[in-house]
Amino acid sequence: MTQNEMSNESTDSTPSADGATSSPDPSGDPLVEQSIDVEGSDTTTGSTGKPVIEARSLDVFYGDVQALQDIDMAIPEKQVTAMIGPSGCGKSTFLRCINRMNDLVDAARIEGDLYFEGKNVYDDDVDPVALRRRIGMVFQHPNPFPKSIYDNVAYGLRIQDQTENLDQKVETALKRAALWDEVKDQLDKSALDLSGGQQQRLCIARAIAVDPDVILMDEPASALDPIATSKIEDLIEELAEEFTVVIVTHNMQQAARISDKTAVFLTGGELVEFDDTNQIFENPEHQRVEDYITGKFG
Amino acid sequence: MATTDQSGRWHGEDSEVNHLRGRAFEATCLAATALGLVSVLILLLFVANDAFRPFSADIGWIATYAVTVLVPLAALTVFYYRLDDPAGEVAYVTSGLPVVGLLLTGGFVVLFTELLTVLEWFALVLSLAAAVGVIVAHGRYRSGVALERLAVLVLAPLVAVLGAPPVEFNYFVTDTAAALGLDVGLYYRVISLREAIMMLPFVPTDWMMLLATLVLPVAGLGGWFVGNRRESRRDGWTAVGLTTVTALAGLVAGPLVGVGVEGWLLLVTFVVLPIGIYVEGVVRRDEGRAGLVFPVVAVLGVFVGSLLVGALGFAGPEPWLDWGFLTSAHSRTPTDAGIYPAMVGSVMMIIVIVLSTFPVGVGAAIYLEEYAPSSGWMGKFVTLVEINIGNLAGVPSVVYGLLGLALFIRILEWPQGSVIVAGLAVGLLILPIIIISAQEAIRSVPDSFRQASYGMGATRWQTIRQVVLPEALPGILTGTILALGRAIGETAPLLMIGAAASVRLAPNGFFDVASMMPRQIFSWSSELDPAFRHGVLAAGVITLLAVLLVMNGTAIVIRNRYQRQE
Repeated sequence: MTQNEMSNESTDSTPSADGATSSPDPSGDPLVEQSIDVEGSDTTTGSTGKPVIEARSLDVFYGDVQALQDIDMAIPEKQVTAMIGPSGCGKSTFLRCINRMNDLVDAARIEGDLYFEGKNVYDDDVDPVALRRRIGMVFQHPNPFPKSIYDNVAYGLRIQDQTENLDQKVETALKRAALWDEVKDQLDKSALDLSGGQQQRLCIARAIAVDPDVILMDEPASALDPIATSKIEDLIEELAEEFTVVIVTHNMQQAARISDKTAVFLTGGELVEFDDTNQIFENPEHQRVEDYITGKFG
Repeated sequence: MATTDQSGRWHGEDSEVNHLRGRAFEATCLAATALGLVSVLILLLFVANDAFRPFSADIGWIATYAVTVLVPLAALTVFYYRLDDPAGEVAYVTSGLPVVGLLLTGGFVVLFTELLTVLEWFALVLSLAAAVGVIVAHGRYRSGVALERLAVLVLAPLVAVLGAPPVEFNYFVTDTAAALGLDVGLYYRVISLREAIMMLPFVPTDWMMLLATLVLPVAGLGGWFVGNRRESRRDGWTAVGLTTVTALAGLVAGPLVGVGVEGWLLLVTFVVLPIGIYVEGVVRRDEGRAGLVFPVVAVLGVFVGSLLVGALGFAGPEPWLDWGFLTSAHSRTPTDAGIYPAMVGSVMMIIVIVLSTFPVGVGAAIYLEEYAPSSGWMGKFVTLVEINIGNLAGVPSVVYGLLGLALFIRILEWPQGSVIVAGLAVGLLILPIIIISAQEAIRSVPDSFRQASYGMGATRWQTIRQVVLPEALPGILTGTILALGRAIGETAPLLMIGAAASVRLAPNGFFDVASMMPRQIFSWSSELDPAFRHGVLAAGVITLLAVLLVMNGTAIVIRNRYQRQE
């Protein structure tokens, strides 16, 4: 549980706590209350961070098909929140709602509210581009640009006009992504020459180079071999010291290993249970969740 | 067991599997392919035979060159094929590069003799460079202000190259100057930087201007390439220095060799420099060095052959397609007739087509692929537009000629048969092809790149500019060059807009009446003298095909390079 302690420390010491003062009152949200209740009953977990992302009765439709049903969920700051569930249960859809990547899908329609640091991201005055600059994303398949390693990491900094000390920032990002030692002599080489695991860490470096608040990861290790996967997992745990990490995964052991909180989505786009990871895996409240976790279906 | 006894063995000749129909089908397909290829090949051989007439030469002449050139080269080819290392490719490139370089040199020679003086070129390049410099500097220091940026982007090239049209302010300035007794040559309009350079009281000599605006930039590019490849700035500078020294040597050597100083400079830039860089790379990597022998053997063979033929007194062939054909105008006598003005007309037409069609076509493709909505009634409208672009690509070319006639000649009243009308009419014809191929190229950029870019917080413009276009550019260029290949051979629109059957002088401007290669060939086909219909016509066709081959070859090189990167 050192993970939690560390994240607590950093929560307290960072000024970004001020940013959350405008966040909606947690007491008005039944889900946060519930999670706090569970928190109290569970002695193994230290405490929970402030909610940085909150969904309130969020519905998503693709054409006539409803992909998410009435989701209420509060994702705490500087922790790893995992979302698990069978294929097609809407967990990736939810992830893409957070940084409005679903805007790029013409057929997608979103109802309900989703707050990021107290601001409904679906308000008319929110520019999705500005939102995505604060919420980075790592995709299922490593997708570096067909440019050099350096240019890949510098991409986000350049498009955001943060080009002073570019070399320094690129180096820092690569170090935080635990990739620097492997690529420091070949920054000019094409990123496509790296192995799959290196490419995925490069994508993580690219995402954290611009210093976002939240990193969304959509099954970041599902296309990788076990060794590359374990490197990514170690990295995710380290990242949670500085960033809020939301990760979608198919792999329940992975969720159990690295996450502080786990949300279980089941078929039909329902959020069935959202709680501390230990609670979910040791003593789930719902029978369906237990069946899913023990492998009776899904 | 009973069946195996009856039919011998299950895997033998008399098994129950019937391959007969399949084999018959395969043979039919092969026959169809062979028929198409062989008939085109026979036609080409026929035309080439008419154009070059190799059999009008003495047997001895053919035999001599066969021994000195053809046999050694064939032997070398077989040797490379068996060697199975990059030697074959090296031989191919070192033989092809000089040809392409010479074509480029020829292009610039035509440019300087027909279209521009060296001074005009110098002024144009300098003013464009100044405009680009202003734009880059502005981007570096004040990129934030979007409107100002747009204004600079539009105004800098305009002011540098075209100047400002007459406006109130200029009348005021000029009138004031005149009243004060000053004549500064403003004349109611602001002259451009280009015109200002041309008005300079002293001008450098032609070779100096060529050195500054053509040799040095190309040498710099070569040096940058060498420096990058060898990861040493010094080697890059060495390349630049060597090129400059070789170019300057032309001050003495050029007139001696008989190509003049300017010709020498062009040759150094487009022939010597690329070959030097390539050969140096081959020698250093030590891959396929044997291939370098090929062009040497070819040149030596021709040299020895010509000595032998001269000594033995064999008469060579009298080809229709010779230097005279490429450099003279149409004439009543078939032996004097040439294609030069029509070739210049074709090249100028291609310039008009590229300048008008490429931006419009690529812009339309970007809009349709990246911006246009795919749902709602706008989506339906876009689908309708796309279907119609597909249909337009199939509209007969004569209809585009009619459109050009109505639009540019009847309504805009531009001169009939002028280069600009021809270029725009043929440009309209290939516009749908360019749009479709550019759309295809943009569509082939993986969506994961766009997702990654949007996920980083890039705007749509940044995504297109930084990710989509660089990836799609080789595909767009390939498609455009192939479409241009189609454009250069189009005849019907030229007939409709009244391009000249033949002209004595090459056009000097875009509003001059001109003839183009296919139009000239068409008019030769209706000459009474059979020498025109068989000989001169064939020579024209071969010239046109050679130009097409070069263009398509360029497209293939770009595409291959692109695929190799992936």
